Amino acid sequence: MKRTDLFAPVWRRFRRSRLAIAALIYIALVSLIALFAPLIATNGTKALVPFAPNDAQLVDRLQPPSVVHRLGTDELGRDILSRMIHGARVSLTIGLTATLISLIVGSLLGALAGYYGGAIDWIVSRLIEIVLCFPFLFLVLGIVALFRPSMTTLMIALGLTSWTTEARFVRGEFLRIRELEFAQAARASGARDVRIIFRHLLPNAFAPVLVAASFGVAAAILTESALSFLGVGVSVPTASWGSILASAEENIDYAWWMVVFPGLAIFLTVAAFNVIGDRFRDALDPRFE
Amino acid sequence: MRSYIARRIAYAVLTFFGITVVVFALIHSVPGDPISFYIGRAGGVTLSRTGLEAIRRAHHLDRPLVVQYGWWLKGVVTLDFGTSILDGRPVVDRIAEKLPNTFLLNLLAFLVAAAIGIPVGLWSANKPGRLFDRGSAVTFFLLYSLPSFWVALLMMKLFAVKLNWLPLFGMTSDDYLDYSTAGRVIDRIRHMILPVATLTYSQLAIFARFSRSATTDVIRQDFITTARAKGAGNSVVLWRHAFRNALIPIITLLGLTVPYLISGSVIVEQIFQWDGIGHLYFESILGRDYPMIMALSVATAIVTLLAGLAADVLYAFADPRIRLGESSR
Repeated sequence: MKRTDLFAPVWRRFRRSRLAIAALIYIALVSLIALFAPLIATNGTKALVPFAPNDAQLVDRLQPPSVVHRLGTDELGRDILSRMIHGARVSLTIGLTATLISLIVGSLLGALAGYYGGAIDWIVSRLIEIVLCFPFLFLVLGIVALFRPSMTTLMIALGLTSWTTEARFVRGEFLRIRELEFAQAARASGARDVRIIFRHLLPNAFAPVLVAASFGVAAAILTESALSFLGVGVSVPTASWGSILASAEENIDYAWWMVVFPGLAIFLTVAAFNVIGDRFRDALDPRFE
Repeated sequence: MRSYIARRIAYAVLTFFGITVVVFALIHSVPGDPISFYIGRAGGVTLSRTGLEAIRRAHHLDRPLVVQYGWWLKGVVTLDFGTSILDGRPVVDRIAEKLPNTFLLNLLAFLVAAAIGIPVGLWSANKPGRLFDRGSAVTFFLLYSLPSFWVALLMMKLFAVKLNWLPLFGMTSDDYLDYSTAGRVIDRIRHMILPVATLTYSQLAIFARFSRSATTDVIRQDFITTARAKGAGNSVVLWRHAFRNALIPIITLLGLTVPYLISGSVIVEQIFQWDGIGHLYFESILGRDYPMIMALSVATAIVTLLAGLAADVLYAFADPRIRLGESSR
């Protein structure tokens, strides 16, 4: 059986949700914008948004949305739209990389625990329990602020604190499938453990992990923006959705545009990843039909 | 039953040690000790070399790591977390001072979320697929995706700046002391509305989803069909028969939401200048107040641990299937 045969019905069920398709299109669009941010929003009349993200024009400070500054300017006269476009880069990079780290760490530990059981399973399970005891933001905040706050620190901190969901999923799947016929057949044919784990078992356990990953990206983006909002995320003057909101708080008396637009961007992106995860989970489980 | 609880407690003790090791290892893998960080900050003020050594010794920072851990663990067990580097007061005193403020906010948020979320979940499960079910699912889902600090900002903008109905931040007004007793109570409540609302809304989704799935499981069972067959009305079936059984899995939410609420406190207390644990933690992070950071990290992790333990034990008491299943093993 080919893998596509397994995936086709899932995709068919997923496609049925218009909300999920809209979310996919939205994510694709934001990804493109993030990818080409330096071309879209930069100084020069040819650019779509003719302002660089850190281009401060004090004369134009705190301008409401207009034809020139479509989403207004901040307290230093920087174009909000341009900063948001570059902020998308920060949010997506951190969200995706952090999730990739937690995916790798979680899958590996979960696979080891589920495949070997016994002492390894016991140790991994205790480790998961310990990590789960820490309020997520407390732990991330601690790591990020104690070490130098930077994009790398953020990604590592987020990745290393959120792998438990993936680990539990993979462990559960491994416990379920390790004694199935195809696994036994692989073992009988003399395959080594490493090959059985990575070639035979892991691909079969991957679908639920992708669901967890989709929720994980949403959570990582949310946390990154919260940390940047608190001033311990990406360092100034790098534009990030959260840091625009931080300066919005200081100007909350009149600059409504600084509050509304970046928040909307965070909300839509987080919601899109959550919707994809949710509908993908439903699509994987035919009982919902 | 007793063996089940004993085993859970044994694991909890083990997890406790794990927590302390993680916190200690984390703090001490940070480059530079708190004293040298302090000098970098103090600027003009110069401390003598011997003065620095004295401070180091007082905080046991000159001893090997294992010894430092031993000292610290002894303190943790006896609730002596040392003194704050920032203001020299005992860490425990400062935490005890702020704890009621955080507890009040979180308790209110928990209760409001439960009071709204559980009935909504129940009604959704009663008529699955109907407009109410689908509408509430989508609404809560969207609420869950909203960044809390944005919601807080929007509410501040609307209710405090624009409409001027509620105070922008703080726990009391500036002229609080001039108020009568009733005025003070009202003033405090007015300051609580926005923070509690911010903490509540994302919890709603969790409560509604959880109680919906719990009720759905119960409604499918035979005794509900029996109750309906007897001719019991829909609301009687729902509230008398289904609700009580659906409440059991909801107990586990107690353990699940605690770390969530504590995390939320950091953001909410920072935005609304609420003088609680989250605010204190953030301050100590910025000031590298090591004893305080360690104390708060350990304390919140232990609170989470205890909440999970309490939920499991309560669950075992409430649901005979669990404890019987365990003892027959």
